[in-house]
Amino acid sequence: MQELEQRADPASVVEAPANSGDSQGAAFVAAAAALALSACGSGEDGGPGSSGSRTPQIPPTPIPPAPAPGPVPPPPRDIVPATHAEAARFALQAQFSVSEADITSLKSGGVLAWLDARYNEPLGQTGVAWLDSRGHDAITVERRYRRRQPGDHMIWNQLLAGPDQMRKRIALALSELFVVSLSGINFLHPAYVIAGYWDVLTANAFGNFRKLLEALTLNAAVGFFLSTRGSARENSSGRQPDENYAREVMQLFTIGLYQMNPDGTPKLDAENKPQDTLSQEDVVNLARVFTGYDWDYHSNGGSTRPVEWEENPVPSTHFASNPMGFNPNRHSTTEVNFLGQKITGTTPGRDALQIALDRLFYHENTGPFFARQMIQRLVTSNPSPAYVERVALVFGNNGSGVRGDLKAVWTAILTDEEARAMPTGADTLFGKLREPMVRFVQWGRTAEVASDDDEYQIGDLSQMDTQLGQSPLRSPTVFNFFRAGYVPPNTEIATAGKQAPEFQLLNESSTAGYINFMQSVTRKGIEDVKPNYTTLLPVAHDVSRVVYWLNLQLTANQLSDETLAAVTSALRGYNITESTVTSAKLDMLATACFLILISPDYLVQK
Amino acid sequence: MKRIVNKDELWTRRVVLQRAMHLSALGVATPLAINLAAVGEAAAFDASDYKALVCVFMIGGNDYANTLVPYDPANYALYHQIRAGGPGEEQAGIALARADLVATALTPGDSAVLTDNLQYALAPQLSGLKARFDANRLAILLNVGPLIQPTTLAQYESANRAANPLPPRLFSHNDQQSLWQTDGDEKSTHGWGGRLGDLALSSGPSNSLLTCISASGNAVFVAGQDAIPYQVGQNGAIRIKALDGPLRGAVRNIITRNSSHVLENACAAVTRRSIELEGRVNNALRGVTLTTEFPRSNLLANQLRVVARMIGANATFGVKRQVFFVSFSDFDHHKSLMGQHPVLMKQLNDALGAFYSATVELGVADKVTTFTASDFGRSLASNADGTDHGWGSHHFVLGAAVNGGRFYGTAPHVSTSTDDQVGQGRLLPTISLDQFGATLAEWFGCTPSEVPGILPNIGNFSNTNLGFLKPG
Repeated sequence: MQELEQRADPASVVEAPANSGDSQGAAFVAAAAALALSACGSGEDGGPGSSGSRTPQIPPTPIPPAPAPGPVPPPPRDIVPATHAEAARFALQAQFSVSEADITSLKSGGVLAWLDARYNEPLGQTGVAWLDSRGHDAITVERRYRRRQPGDHMIWNQLLAGPDQMRKRIALALSELFVVSLSGINFLHPAYVIAGYWDVLTANAFGNFRKLLEALTLNAAVGFFLSTRGSARENSSGRQPDENYAREVMQLFTIGLYQMNPDGTPKLDAENKPQDTLSQEDVVNLARVFTGYDWDYHSNGGSTRPVEWEENPVPSTHFASNPMGFNPNRHSTTEVNFLGQKITGTTPGRDALQIALDRLFYHENTGPFFARQMIQRLVTSNPSPAYVERVALVFGNNGSGVRGDLKAVWTAILTDEEARAMPTGADTLFGKLREPMVRFVQWGRTAEVASDDDEYQIGDLSQMDTQLGQSPLRSPTVFNFFRAGYVPPNTEIATAGKQAPEFQLLNESSTAGYINFMQSVTRKGIEDVKPNYTTLLPVAHDVSRVVYWLNLQLTANQLSDETLAAVTSALRGYNITESTVTSAKLDMLATACFLILISPDYLVQK
Repeated sequence: MKRIVNKDELWTRRVVLQRAMHLSALGVATPLAINLAAVGEAAAFDASDYKALVCVFMIGGNDYANTLVPYDPANYALYHQIRAGGPGEEQAGIALARADLVATALTPGDSAVLTDNLQYALAPQLSGLKARFDANRLAILLNVGPLIQPTTLAQYESANRAANPLPPRLFSHNDQQSLWQTDGDEKSTHGWGGRLGDLALSSGPSNSLLTCISASGNAVFVAGQDAIPYQVGQNGAIRIKALDGPLRGAVRNIITRNSSHVLENACAAVTRRSIELEGRVNNALRGVTLTTEFPRSNLLANQLRVVARMIGANATFGVKRQVFFVSFSDFDHHKSLMGQHPVLMKQLNDALGAFYSATVELGVADKVTTFTASDFGRSLASNADGTDHGWGSHHFVLGAAVNGGRFYGTAPHVSTSTDDQVGQGRLLPTISLDQFGATLAEWFGCTPSEVPGILPNIGNFSNTNLGFLKPG
């Protein structure tokens, strides 16, 4: 779970002598020294010698060869949407909003060509680059480097602006599985720490799961949030390796807690009970693998400098993007046995990490565990087991023998027959509650919001009484905003034995808070981010056209006739003509968005 | 042996009530009172008095050993050895300084002798709770946690799980949070607070929407079958402003209309409840004057303040039994225990202190019982500057109905090797969640035969009322 920390500034770290005992700062210096000299440093706290010379030499465990890939899946289906609504529906599952160009391209070239174009779009401006561009790296007496809010500004800019929105939509979904929260980053340059994490997600969103897993494991924000940063081997005074990451990387990031069939359903034992994937002993053992890591302040031009207004020097922002450094002297040399994998104590730490991450990557649960949750984020809360299995199969083999190819996984999720079948009145359970933050971003892109000075000063919108009730990269804990298996009590969803994770955010307060918040935002925007309604303004006098356009753009024509009638009637009341002043037209357009954005037909994406 | 309980058969009152209603619908005159009297055990909930339970959930797993700290020299030395890596009495590693514990050292009123002659001190920030302990308003339960049945270390380590069942997925946050709130597994959709609400609802005229209340988001603890959890905002119910403006007709139509789609309908149902209750709740809250000062910038106090006001507003609602849920987070101190845990202890102390004072002001101090819960306790052993996930933990019960000023249960040895822990000082509970909950439930009005419907493992334990609450 998340960590809140008031740690000593890193400068104390730099000043501390390397033999000063157990402070993580000293460890950092030791790590830097070890990296620079690749020497066997002095044993750091009187534990067993780092050379292992006191015990007979046990051979290191070699990195096992990769297992054969899974069976070859059928090739992805191409689909050419027949209607605007079908095209919009596809695009709104893949990304936040839909443009007329998306619809044209989907209808002419089909979904696979459209997806390929998205996958081939270059990575846009990174979060770190944006923070740099706004001067947030300044180390001045204003102490901007202590503020978290620029991290919120960064993520809102990333989500609301820029053309590469599918990559960002996917990265946001990944941020809800591999959770890190800005709220838990209490350190210098928190905005850069969270941006360094976000940039790993966007950089790897169309890459490979294994590479993503390793990049996250060594990421500065993950290291802080799940406390691998500074975790050290056991010592003679009873200190134990930190178990936080070892538990959550298994439980939340890869294999989950119960054994799964290839279709994601639990494997049951003779008594019809689910079987555990892991025990506390697995956690205790794996924790040893993640010892010896700490933030790397000095690679890639990183530096620290003393400033007169702080007791300790302030580091540059590089550490937030640098993978954590490894200090073999702090790494456990105790043998590891987890999930049937043995790693001897003499195995080099870097190899041990590869072996451990491979064990999780190749675990039979990882494909269905990941597939099911990603389907839930993008398409529907209750995918059929067959749907999960089809996607998991692609996770196991992209068709060319590669496991964990994320592009192939997104394609499988979005082109699956279950995702593509147009909703009918008969299936009253398909779909999902749109997340508040996804609604807000969709509205922002559709309303063509802009920040005049490019500051994007939208803060943390987590407050449910008065705000959105959810904010990107602001999960309250590593368990995300909601549980994958959440069932809203006292509902037909529960009676039907179904799940609806996003409903964990919906209650009597948050529904009213959201409605009030959106009423204000659709007209006035928020902070320096204002809606322009550029496309709609010239046709604002044509109510039918406005309603038609927004129904398509916001819901893929999923509004009921009753809602359409209510919206249309309310808009006609504004009596907008071509010559009406712009502010009145904007009032009407804001109301049009507001009424749609609060309707249950919109809130449930089908 | 594990008892298999068919909950439905245990809903005696509810079943009777439903049958009575069916009969009434058929035109057969069956006065409610007669049917309830026929059950024979319904007296408690039918009483005209008011009672409330308030669950204070510490999200993340509270560190038991820096909350209730070994204080006598011999046991403090063991604590310091384990948490600081050597002898001494100064603050070191993750050990608190012994001198800082002088003011909160506890002398129980019953002069009972604890394991190894342990004397405990509360965390230095818990000075207000120490005063409540001295005034016999606070009881401390030692080593509480979920258990299926009484379990020894040998049974815990046994390969025979069928004979020695354990709670599912120990040491995992979400599973153990769920277990504490539901006494069932992570998929449970009803909590034991909600089940208490159901029972109260079945016993007489009440309100299915104002019986189980959370001030802390959607919490399964307060979800019942009939008792629908209501979320109250920190300043009362949230009014939808557009319902007062020119768009009110369109807005009401759009947000409340029934739909044939199950998810859409579930959305609209929440909004309908929000609208239906907002006026009633806020009108009632306006009538409550509460002069007790609650601390500012304290998320727990903000929630307990609105709970106190809702209890005050009950003069208007007229509900006889209420179950509340509040929570605060960031207890998962794998790191920075010494920096962060005292901050949370201070918030807990100040918020509970203000809340208890508010119940005194409202004249319901003996009608409101507040108890703490958490995912789990943590390890006694250190991982450098924090602790890892554990199992049993110590908990507080506060109120004028509490037989306070003393400890309940068996104090664990200060050890990472004794048989009352499962390694690294992760405590093997000696009081089960079911026993803890059953004692609260009986005070609330449950009869002993109804408790298994609330806490399904209680039948596996011989002592079903721990005595920390005064009857009546």
